Amino acid sequence: MIERFIKQSLPALLSNRVYFLIVLLIVVVIIMSLISPYFLNARTILDILRMGTVLLLLSIGQTLIILAGGAGIDLSVGAMLSLSGVFLGILSRSGVDIWVAALLTILFGGFLGSINGFTVAIWGLPPLIGTLGAMWAYGALALVITNGVPISNFPREFAFIGDGRILGIPAQILLVALPVFLIIYFFLNWSYLGRWVYLIGVNETAAKFAGIPVTRVRFSLYTLNGILAGIGAVVMASWLMVARPDVGNGMELQSITVTVLGGTNIFGGFGSLFGTLLAVLIVTLVASGLQLAGINAIWQLAVLGFILLGAVSVNQLIFSLKARQSGLST
Amino acid sequence: MKTFIPGLSRRDFFTIGLVLLEVIIFSIVSENFLSSSNLRSVLRNATELSLVSIGMTIVILMGGIDISVGSALGVVAIIVGWLIQAEVHPLLIGLTAIVVGTTIGFINGSLITFGRIPDIIATLGMSNILRAAVFGMLGGRWITGLPPVFSPLVQGQLFGIPASIFVIFFFYLIFWLFLTFLPIGRHIYATGNSVEAAKLSGIDVRKTRIIGYMLLGSLVGFSSLLYVGRLGSVEITVGIDLPISAIAAVVIGGASVFGGRGSIIGTLAGVFFMAFMKNGLLLLGIPSLWERAVIGFLIILSVGIDLLINKRQAISKFLRIKTRQPQAGEA
Repeated sequence: MIERFIKQSLPALLSNRVYFLIVLLIVVVIIMSLISPYFLNARTILDILRMGTVLLLLSIGQTLIILAGGAGIDLSVGAMLSLSGVFLGILSRSGVDIWVAALLTILFGGFLGSINGFTVAIWGLPPLIGTLGAMWAYGALALVITNGVPISNFPREFAFIGDGRILGIPAQILLVALPVFLIIYFFLNWSYLGRWVYLIGVNETAAKFAGIPVTRVRFSLYTLNGILAGIGAVVMASWLMVARPDVGNGMELQSITVTVLGGTNIFGGFGSLFGTLLAVLIVTLVASGLQLAGINAIWQLAVLGFILLGAVSVNQLIFSLKARQSGLST
Repeated sequence: MKTFIPGLSRRDFFTIGLVLLEVIIFSIVSENFLSSSNLRSVLRNATELSLVSIGMTIVILMGGIDISVGSALGVVAIIVGWLIQAEVHPLLIGLTAIVVGTTIGFINGSLITFGRIPDIIATLGMSNILRAAVFGMLGGRWITGLPPVFSPLVQGQLFGIPASIFVIFFFYLIFWLFLTFLPIGRHIYATGNSVEAAKLSGIDVRKTRIIGYMLLGSLVGFSSLLYVGRLGSVEITVGIDLPISAIAAVVIGGASVFGGRGSIIGTLAGVFFMAFMKNGLLLLGIPSLWERAVIGFLIILSVGIDLLINKRQAISKFLRIKTRQPQAGEA
C-alpha cells in the first residue's frame, strides 16, 4: 500500500504543478512557523500577503503573455510600474483629483503596454528585445522626469487602498488583488479570448488557420499587462504614499520567476493562473518569513533562485520519470 | 566538397553601416568624438562587453541565453580582487579566474541539459544566487585600491596602439576561426538551427550546449580580469548592466534570439554601436539619465528596421491590421 503510494501516486501528485505547489506552500509555512513564533497568526499572514499584491498583478500579466507563446515575455513590467507611478505623482502634484488621477494612471499604463504590443505583436520584434528596449526607455524616462527624486504629496485619504482595512482584511487584497485575479481567471478559463490565449501558445500556425486573430490577441495581452502595471502603480503609491522612480526595479525578474515557479511553460501553451497565485504566496511568505527571522534581504534573492531551480528541475525530473513509466506500461 | 563558410552577410553590412552612420553623425556634432584620447576611452570601456558578447553570441546561436553573466563576472572579480590582495602570482590569478568562470558556465550548462531547465530560467536562478554571493562575499565593503596588476591588459600600449585593441582582435579572431572551421563550431550553428536535425546527424547536442556555456563562462572569467584592471576596485553593483548590454549587442548585431542565425562580426559591430552611442551622448552633454532611454529606443529601432527590410510581410501585416476581420467561420 505505502509502497504503491510512493511508487505511483506520489509522482503523479507531484508532477501536477498545482499539487506540487500546495505541498511546497505547506512545507514553507511549517518551516517559517518553526523559525519564527510570530508567523502563524492571522493578522501577520494577512499583512504579509499585502506585500504580494503588486507582484500578483504583474505576474498575472506576465503569465498571460508567456502563455500566449511566440517567445512572449515582458521585461518592461517593472519599468511600467515605475513610470506609471511617476505619472500619478505628477498628476497629483498638479492638483488633479487623486481618484481621477488614479484612473488616468491605469489608462496610462495601458498606453505603455500598447506600445509594447505594437513593437512586439504588430511590428514583430522578438519580445525579449522589444520589451528590453521598452524597459530601458520607460525606466530611464521615470528617472529623467523626476530627476531621481521621489514625489510625495498624495492626499491623506489616498492611503486607504494601500493601508486601509475592510472587516479586518487589507483593502488592497479585498479591493484589488482578489477581484482582478477572479476576473482574469474567469476570462482565461471561460471566455473565447481566454481559450485563444492557450491555443495560440500551443500552436500558433494551427491557431491562425482556425481563424484566431493571433496578432490582435497578443497585442491585447501586452496592453492588459500595462493596465495591470498601472493598477499596481496606484496600489504601490497608495501604500508607500510616495512615487519612487525606481520602485519597479527587479520586478520583471520577480514576476518571471513567479510565473515559471507557478508552472507556466516558458515556451507558452501550458500553465495556470492558479499556479501563479500559489507561487506568489510562496515567494511572499518566504521573503517575509526570512525577514521575521532576521535574515538579511540579500539571502532572499539566493533563496528565490534556489527555489526556482529546485522546483523546476524536480518537476521536470518527475515528469520524465512518469513519462518513462507510462511508456513501459503501455 | 564545398564547405559553407560564413563571411560577411548582408545583415553584417547593415550593422557595420549603422555604426559608420553613427560615427559620422557624432563626429559632425561633436568635435572631440574622433580625438584619439576619446576613442581610446571608448575602447577601454568596451573591452569586457566585447569579450562577453562573443560568448553570448555562441549561447544565443544555440537558441539559449545567459542572464547570469553579470553576477558571474562579479563573483570572479571579487575572487580576483582577493587573490591580488594576497599577492598571488598574476598568471595563477588569471588561471583561477578562467577556471572559476568556466565552472559557473558548466553549472549553467548542466542545469539546462541534465536538469532540463529552460535556459532563461536556469540562468535567471543562477543570476539570483550569484548576485547574493556577490553581496555576501563583499559583506557591505567594496574592494578598493587594488594594485594595477592587470591594468596593462586594458590601459597598456604596444607600438603606440592601445592594448585593448589587441585583446579584442585576438579573441574575435580565435572565436571566428573556432566557429567557422572547427567541427564543434559548426555543431553550435547546427544545434541552433534545429536540435532534431542536429541529433539525427550524430551531433551530441548536450555536449555542444555545455561546451557553449563553458566557453561563455571562461570569457566572463577572463573579462573579470579586465574589469579589475580597468577600475582597480570591485563595487557591489558590479556587472549589473552586463547581461542586458551583451544581449542587446548580440541582437543589434543580427543574431536571432531563436538560434541558428548570427555572427561574431555582427556582434562586434553591435558592441561598438552601443559603446559609441554611450560615449557620443556623454560628449553631447546629455544627462546620463537619458542614456538608457536613448539606447532602449535605438535597440527597438535598429532591430525593427532590420525586420522591416527583411520581411515585406511585416509591412503588409501592419497595414492590414485595421481592415482584417476575424475569420472565425472559415474552415
